[in-house]
Amino acid sequence: MSTTRAAPASSGRRAATGRHGHGTDPDHRRPSWRDRLYRFDMRYMPYVLIAPFFLIFLVFGLFPLVFNGVVALRNYRLDDPTLTGWAGLANFRQLFGDEDFWNALYNTFGIFLLSSVPQLLLALIVASLLNRRLRAQTWWRVGVLLPYVTPIVASTMVFSVFFSRDFGMANWVLGLFGIGGDEPINWRADKLHAWIAIATMVNWKWIGYNALLYLAAMQSIPRDVYEAAAVDGAGPWRQLWRITVPMIQPVIVFTVILSTIGGFQLFIEPMLFDLNSQAATGGPNGEWQTIAQLIYKVGWKDLNLGYAAAMSWALFLIILVVAGINTLLTNRLSGGRSR
Amino acid sequence: MKRSWTRWARAVTAGTVGLALVAACSGKSGQDSDAADGQVTLKINFWGDFGLQDLKTKYEAANPNVKIQLNSGEYNAQHEDLQKKLVAGSGAADIAAIDEGFMVQFRSQSDKFVNLLDKGAGSYESKYLPWKWKQSLSADGKTQIGLGTDTGGLAMCYRTDLFKAAGLPTERDQVSALWPTWDRFIEVGLQYTGKTNKKFIDAGSNLFNPILGQQPVGFYNEQDQLQMEQGPKVAFDYTIKAIQAGLSANLASFQADWDKGFTSGSFAVLACPAWMLGHIKDTAPGTQGKWDIAAVPGGGGNWGGSFLTIPKQSKHVDEAYKLLEWLVQPEQQIEVFKKVGNLPSQPALYSDPAIADFTNPFFSNAPVGQIFPKMAQGLTPQYLGKKNGPTRVAVENVLTRVQNKTLKPEAAWAEAVKEAEKASTS
Repeated sequence: MSTTRAAPASSGRRAATGRHGHGTDPDHRRPSWRDRLYRFDMRYMPYVLIAPFFLIFLVFGLFPLVFNGVVALRNYRLDDPTLTGWAGLANFRQLFGDEDFWNALYNTFGIFLLSSVPQLLLALIVASLLNRRLRAQTWWRVGVLLPYVTPIVASTMVFSVFFSRDFGMANWVLGLFGIGGDEPINWRADKLHAWIAIATMVNWKWIGYNALLYLAAMQSIPRDVYEAAAVDGAGPWRQLWRITVPMIQPVIVFTVILSTIGGFQLFIEPMLFDLNSQAATGGPNGEWQTIAQLIYKVGWKDLNLGYAAAMSWALFLIILVVAGINTLLTNRLSGGRSR
Repeated sequence: MKRSWTRWARAVTAGTVGLALVAACSGKSGQDSDAADGQVTLKINFWGDFGLQDLKTKYEAANPNVKIQLNSGEYNAQHEDLQKKLVAGSGAADIAAIDEGFMVQFRSQSDKFVNLLDKGAGSYESKYLPWKWKQSLSADGKTQIGLGTDTGGLAMCYRTDLFKAAGLPTERDQVSALWPTWDRFIEVGLQYTGKTNKKFIDAGSNLFNPILGQQPVGFYNEQDQLQMEQGPKVAFDYTIKAIQAGLSANLASFQADWDKGFTSGSFAVLACPAWMLGHIKDTAPGTQGKWDIAAVPGGGGNWGGSFLTIPKQSKHVDEAYKLLEWLVQPEQQIEVFKKVGNLPSQPALYSDPAIADFTNPFFSNAPVGQIFPKMAQGLTPQYLGKKNGPTRVAVENVLTRVQNKTLKPEAAWAEAVKEAEKASTS
């Protein structure tokens, strides 16, 4: 890489010397300030420009990660300043016997499945619809992105009212079809209903975003592939699964990883869905408490920062594993073109 | 060899330049503008409306060297912000307001606050309601981290029109006489639901908390041991009885359905501290004149109330204490009551005509200046343990599950004990 970069730089330097040499001996090269500036620009500027990202990552990304790891190995309770010192792996050991943690993991996984799978499938269908010739094409494309630009707190609060028991619109609509009636669904009473409600919020927000990513990838697929398939008698559905999906596979893998990370860090939706959100218990019996929510509760409500840090690290490792598995699965399912 | 060295050199150079850029951006932040001429800026953090705007002007006029910065925020956010600043070691306000709901959490970190007893605040002990003074006192009784401002008191707000429709008396003294005890309260509720087929109270937890507040011992004894079989059991049994009788609408406070309930009549009565009156008025302006206020069964109660504290991080502790002391003087406390209706926590003020003669037109001209002080004074001090907040949430959640019918009432107490024990050790 550096050799290819160096080539234009040196030729540039020679050209510059030629212009400013004023007929002096070409071997006597005393670089002028302009040369130096040019050299600096060519050789160092890219690093200078990219540096702020790495520095900010160092300060706000890597440092907290490492510091979190240190805290995870210590006793650190805000409500008991006398309890300090190294705890070794005690915090991690506590994790295995903590039913709250396993419950939160179960919830997170359940909500993740209920949100990511329909979300990506629907995004794929929306994208393939948008990829056709439509009237007011731009309007539709901007339209699907609107949920994405809505502030997440605002939309969650609206959904929270939407899913309220007595005067919520969800129950009203279901009531029109004869579901509920005198005993309206209490969306916050059991796991399944709460998960569905939260997954709906997530899906609503991210379908359009993923659809646009898919759409961008789809537009780079040559038309003649589809024409050939159509000639061979493949219908739209078959074209979608046999041509589109394999050809946009890198983007699909990308969205799967992104939605895994997002799904496992789900926080605002379950938090604001709770009627008593301040307590961060995710329902009266932790029906929809996610791991991120549990970390917040343990850290800032139970004031046990050491244990919360251990949970954060566990979450980090879980995300790595699940994202890895998902990538493998997606590679298999969407055509098996392994790279 | 040489190549790799230059690459390193390049990276280091780039890093240094980048660092300089970042440093240049963050160079001028958080510098106090306190000049050498003795000018002092005091920052007060609080939530909602503490009625401080006029007092600020007044104090600044009397003390030209002091500038007051009022910083109002959201209730939970302010407390969490304070907690984070205490951990970080800097950035907290000179005077930080703390609600009684968070007091236990901060009281157990009393080393991070200025001990007001060192500043001579001990002389105020006799002026405060005894339980109010005790709430902000550290467990060993040696550190007082805050002085009380307002207190909630507790009464029962009820809908006169709904009571009338159910054939119950509507006049406030008669209603108070209707329920001297919680047993009688549940009977009245049964009468109401029998007649109207509607729910009587808003939520089980809003019955549980006032009853628990009246018990001599709450969740924890003074040694911070969980005591479920005493006070909590009494309150829990009453609440389960009320839920089984079908009195509770199972609504969560400050949520959409609950707010809607004020106008729609989802419930006819609710436990009501002084600061709740403003919320009802704002939420259901159309119900003016349909509300009245009666005494709480069982004698007394309190819900909410605040304290002013000085974090040790403050650079102007002496000036902050001077301002704090001034703010809790009777004159200022009455000023606040007139302005925003926050009831002072110093009983001597309750006989002041400005408070004693105050009536609220929205609530059928109920003499709130008489009702709430009486309730606040009827309360016996109760020790709140370090884990009181999480324990209360855990038991409330069990009550919610019973109301959701996902937990059988017979199994509820065992579950409540289990959850409370878990919360106490979390």
